[in-house]
Amino acid sequence: MIQRALGSDHLAGWLFVLPAVVLIGVFGILPIGWALLLSFQQNDLLTAPTWVGLDNYRTLAHDPVFRDSIRRTLIYTALFVPLSVGGAMAVALLLHRPIRFSRFYRTAVFVPVATSTVATGIIFNWLLDPTYGIANYLLDKVGLGPYGFFQDPDQALYAIVAMTVWGWLGFDVIIYLAALQGIPEDLLEAAQLDGAGRWATFRHVVWPLLSPATLFLIVWSTINALQVFDEIYVTTRGGPLHATTVLVYFLYNQAFELFHAGYAAAAAEVLFLITLVFSVVQLWLGNRRVHYSS
Amino acid sequence: MRRSLLLVAASLLVLVAGCGGSGSGSSNGGRVNVVLWHGYIDIEGKALADAAKRFNATHPKIHVTVQNYGNADYAIQKVLTAIRGGSYPDIVYLYGSWAANMARTPRAVDLAPLIKADPSINWDDFWPAERQAVSVGPKIVGVPALVDNLALVYNKKLFDQAGMSYPTPDWTWDDFRAAAKRLTDPSAKQFGWAYVNDASEDTVWRFDALLWQAGGDILTPDQKHAAFNSPAGVAAATLLQQMATVDHSIYLDNGNGNYANLFNSGKIAMLFTGPWDLSGFPDVDYGIQILPGNENHQTISGPDQWVMLDNGDDRRNAAWTFLKWFTSPTEAMQWSLATGDLPIRSSQTQTPDYPKYTAKYPGIATFVDNEQNALKARPVLPTYNEISQAMGQAIQAILLGKAQPQQALDQAAQQVDQVLAQGS
Repeated sequence: MIQRALGSDHLAGWLFVLPAVVLIGVFGILPIGWALLLSFQQNDLLTAPTWVGLDNYRTLAHDPVFRDSIRRTLIYTALFVPLSVGGAMAVALLLHRPIRFSRFYRTAVFVPVATSTVATGIIFNWLLDPTYGIANYLLDKVGLGPYGFFQDPDQALYAIVAMTVWGWLGFDVIIYLAALQGIPEDLLEAAQLDGAGRWATFRHVVWPLLSPATLFLIVWSTINALQVFDEIYVTTRGGPLHATTVLVYFLYNQAFELFHAGYAAAAAEVLFLITLVFSVVQLWLGNRRVHYSS
Repeated sequence: MRRSLLLVAASLLVLVAGCGGSGSGSSNGGRVNVVLWHGYIDIEGKALADAAKRFNATHPKIHVTVQNYGNADYAIQKVLTAIRGGSYPDIVYLYGSWAANMARTPRAVDLAPLIKADPSINWDDFWPAERQAVSVGPKIVGVPALVDNLALVYNKKLFDQAGMSYPTPDWTWDDFRAAAKRLTDPSAKQFGWAYVNDASEDTVWRFDALLWQAGGDILTPDQKHAAFNSPAGVAAATLLQQMATVDHSIYLDNGNGNYANLFNSGKIAMLFTGPWDLSGFPDVDYGIQILPGNENHQTISGPDQWVMLDNGDDRRNAAWTFLKWFTSPTEAMQWSLATGDLPIRSSQTQTPDYPKYTAKYPGIATFVDNEQNALKARPVLPTYNEISQAMGQAIQAILLGKAQPQQALDQAAQQVDQVLAQGS
C-alpha cells in the first residue's frame, strides 16, 4: 500500500528509518559538525565568535594541562579496560556454574550498574574519606594506611579506576553470561570426551567462543574509558592538583567554567580522533582473531 | 529521493518548532507576561512564589511567572544555552561572579540608565560590596538578590569542654591558630577548623578574606597584574600551611560539603562560613563572631544578582517594575523574615519588622553587622574564573603540603598575569 502510494521501494525504506535518521542527525551528526566548526573559532558562547583557523589546535599542542590530561586518560584506559573486562570474565565464569544463590550474586554484581552515578559518588566520598571513611578504618585494622584516596594527588586517579571498575563490572558480566549461555553443550561434551581438562576446555572451546563478546566489550569499554567524566565530576572534580583532570573533564572546564568553547571543541576533536584510532585498530586486530560462529 | 529529503527537512522543522517557543511569555490582552528563572527550593522557593503572587495581585497589567532552573551552581550554562536558542527568560538569578560574563552578552540589559532615570530604586541604599559586584565598568548588570558574608561560627560546647573562652571580636590570627590547635584531638578525630580544599572558588574566597586582613589584594589597582603573591598573600598562605601541615588542625573537605555534617556532629570546632549553613547545624549550640584578623577583620561578601534579559520594550519595562518592587525595603524585609537571608539594603535595618527578624534568627545580627567589614570585592572581570582557578590550585598545593607559599603563589601570579595580558 505505502509502496504503491509513494511509488518506490527506496522511499518506503527511508520512511521506516526516518525517526532514527532524524534523531541521529539532530542529536548526533549535527552537533559533530557544529563542534568541528566551533573548533576553528574563538567563541565564549556569549558574544559573536571570531574565526581563528588552527589557532586553538596550536595552543593545545603547547598546553601542559592538556598534554597531562591525555596522559591521564590513557593511563586510566589502560587500567580500566583490562580490569573491568578481565574481571567480568572471571566473575561470569564463576557465576555460570551451578552454585547456590547464583541469582542473588548475579543481582548483586549488577546493582552498581543500575545505581545512579551521583549516589555512587557520594557513597565513595564517604567510604574513602581519609579521616572518617570506613576504608581507612578497615585498612588500619590490618596495619595499613591511612591513605588519602581522592584527596591525594598520587592516588586519586587509581581510586577513580577502582570506583568505576566496581560500577561497570556488572554490565560486562551480563554480556559474558549471555555469551556463555550461547555455547552449545555438545561442544563442551565433545571436548570432555576427547579428554580435555578444565583448562584445555576453557582455552580451546570457551575462550574462542567468547571472543565476539570480548571484542565488543573491549571496544565499548575503551570508548567509555576515553570519555570518562561523570564519576570524576561527582567525586574529585578533576583534582586534587589536576590529578584526575582527564580529557573530557579538561574540555568541560574549558567550555563551561572558563567559557573557551572553541578551545574546548578543538580538544573534543582530538578526543574524537583518539577514539577513532583506538576503535579502528581494535576492530581490525579483533576481526582477525574473533570466531563468530561455533 | 528528493521528496524524501523534503520529508526529512519537514520533520526537522517540526522538531525545531516544537523545541522553540517554550518558556517565553508574551503580551496578550494588554497584560505583559514576565518569566523569572531561579534555583530556590523549600522555604525560599515558597517565599518567591508568594512574592510573585502578591505582585500579580497588585499589578493587573503584569503577570510574573517563576520557574525553577535547578541548581544555581550551573545556572550560567543553562542561561547561555537559552540565549543561544533565542528563547530566554526576562529575569534570572545568577551568581555575582558571572557579572562580567553576562555584561558581554548583548541580551543582558544594562541597568545603569534605568537606575539613573529612576531615583525611586534608591541605589545607594544597597551595600557597597553588592554594588561593586554588579558593576562592570560603566555598566550595571544586575540588581542585588542576596548577600552573604563569612563569619566565625564555633561550637560552644567544645570550647567549654576545653576550658577555653569564646572567640572575641579582637581575636588575632595567632589567637585563632592557637585555639584551633588546642581544639584538635586526633584520637577523637576532632579538628579545630575546616577548609574547603577543592581548588574551586570555595577554596579561594576564604583565602581572599585572609589576604585582605593582611592588607593585600588580589590584583593591582589597575587590574593588569596579580598582587596576591605579595608579603600579605604569603602571610595568609603561610597561616593555612602551618595549620594544615604542622598543627594538623584543619579538616580538609574535598568539596562535597562533609564539613557541615561534621560540624553538626561536634567533630569540628570552628568554621568560616555564612548564614546559608546555619540551618544545617540543628544539633550544635553554636556562637557567631566576626572573623579573626591580622591588620583588620575584613570579611568577604558573596552577592548574587537578578539579571535582566531583553525581550523587547514591554517585557523589559515590566521586568524592571517587578525588580524594583521585589527589592524595595518592605518586600526585601518580608523576604529576610521568611528565609533568614541577610538584608540586601542598609535601610532594611530601619524597617518595623527588623527586630522580629533578629529575634527569629539568633546570631544573625552578627552577620548583618559584619557586612560593614565587607570592604572589598573580587575583581569583576570576564577572566575571573581563570584567576580563581590559578589561585585555587596554588592554595590547594599549599594545604596539601605539595608546595611552599611563596613559590606556589608566584607560579599562580605568573599564570594570572598571562591571562590578564591576553584579556579574554
